[in-house]
Amino acid sequence: MTVIETIVEILSWFFMVSGSIFVLIGAIGTLRFPDFWSRLHAVSITESAGMILLIIGMCLQAGPTLITVKLLLIGIFLFLTGPTSTHAVADAALVTGLRPPESEGLKAEKLDEDDNG
Amino acid sequence: MVELLVDLTLFFMLVTTAIAITYSRHLFGVVMMAGVFSLLSAMLLVSLDAVDVAFTEAAVGAGISSVLMLSTLTLTARIEKPSTRSPLIPLLVVTATGAAIIYGTLDMPSFGDPNSPAQLGAAAQYLANSPADMHIPNVVTVVLASYRGFDTLGEAAVVFTAGVGVLLLLSGLRRRRRRGDTDEKETS
Amino acid sequence: MFVVAVIALFIAMVLVLIRLYWGPTLYDRVLAVNSFGTQTVLFIGVIGFLAGRPDFLDIALLYALINFVGTIVILKYFRYRAIGDVHQTPTEEETGK
Repeated sequence: MTVIETIVEILSWFFMVSGSIFVLIGAIGTLRFPDFWSRLHAVSITESAGMILLIIGMCLQAGPTLITVKLLLIGIFLFLTGPTSTHAVADAALVTGLRPPESEGLKAEKLDEDDNG
Repeated sequence: MVELLVDLTLFFMLVTTAIAITYSRHLFGVVMMAGVFSLLSAMLLVSLDAVDVAFTEAAVGAGISSVLMLSTLTLTARIEKPSTRSPLIPLLVVTATGAAIIYGTLDMPSFGDPNSPAQLGAAAQYLANSPADMHIPNVVTVVLASYRGFDTLGEAAVVFTAGVGVLLLLSGLRRRRRRGDTDEKETS
Repeated sequence: MFVVAVIALFIAMVLVLIRLYWGPTLYDRVLAVNSFGTQTVLFIGVIGFLAGRPDFLDIALLYALINFVGTIVILKYFRYRAIGDVHQTPTEEETGK
């Protein structure tokens, strides 16, 4: 194993593990945050940071092959569509009348009744 | 070992999703969970090496069916009516069917067994002859699109007819309802 | 390394699934499905590497596209209450409460 291979391996480990950590952080936030608007923030961590780091790690592992091209295509698609769809969900929620809780603290329970828009 | 654990975890999530679907009364949530069910089954198919079926599941389960279910939901109510019948007879039927299917799997060869009848019959010939016959590297493609071409054509015709029928049904209903809305304001 | 990623993705999937079953609003469910779709794409990629045959990334590519279509359909459903051709913009009584 040459020096370059070792470096690539270490870099790929680093990217994969940090990507996994970001995916986990996003999921924990999705579960634990008190209301919809803050959960929106947690979900986008998975979709931007976690996704990008994992894909870079897989690219380094694959080397200069067709697989890397496919991975980069997936990365570009997710990079474009992830924020767009998060925005779309936020827009739909805002249009149908779900509002962020304001001054009197967080009232997550109050949002239950807003289901029917 | 790792693959077995992966499959077991996916099956666990699949069963949980199915149970959650049966308990939910909110039809929109049911559509969402059906989408997740389809994603989970596609992951299972990929991990079981059935890549072509996973492709179909991606296009049909995650793509078309959630669109169709949502456009059906725009025409009906969004909350399921509580059922008045007792669930005993359906439960019995489902249990009996499940038991019969499990009994059927007892005779099956184990997963990936090279001596199973499916591997010994035509499959070996396909594997041996298809590169020389068709010059296509993917054997599944050769079997589906070339050796069984007419079969696939028939399937495509059936699916196309079903799709056109569903589209006609949905659009016709919507137009009729819109006309009704202008006649007598907001009956729902 | 791929095992680490698979385990992390599995834990993340379970957490997101709990959010999906729990709700409480519809948008939480949409958000959970959206996040689950991204995790599916990543999982299919990683499982290919884990099994030593990363040639099946086409499926992940397909999912990345179809996921987006699904989310946009849901947006249209919320915004216009119809999926097909939409002729009119939503009026006050349709969007407001």
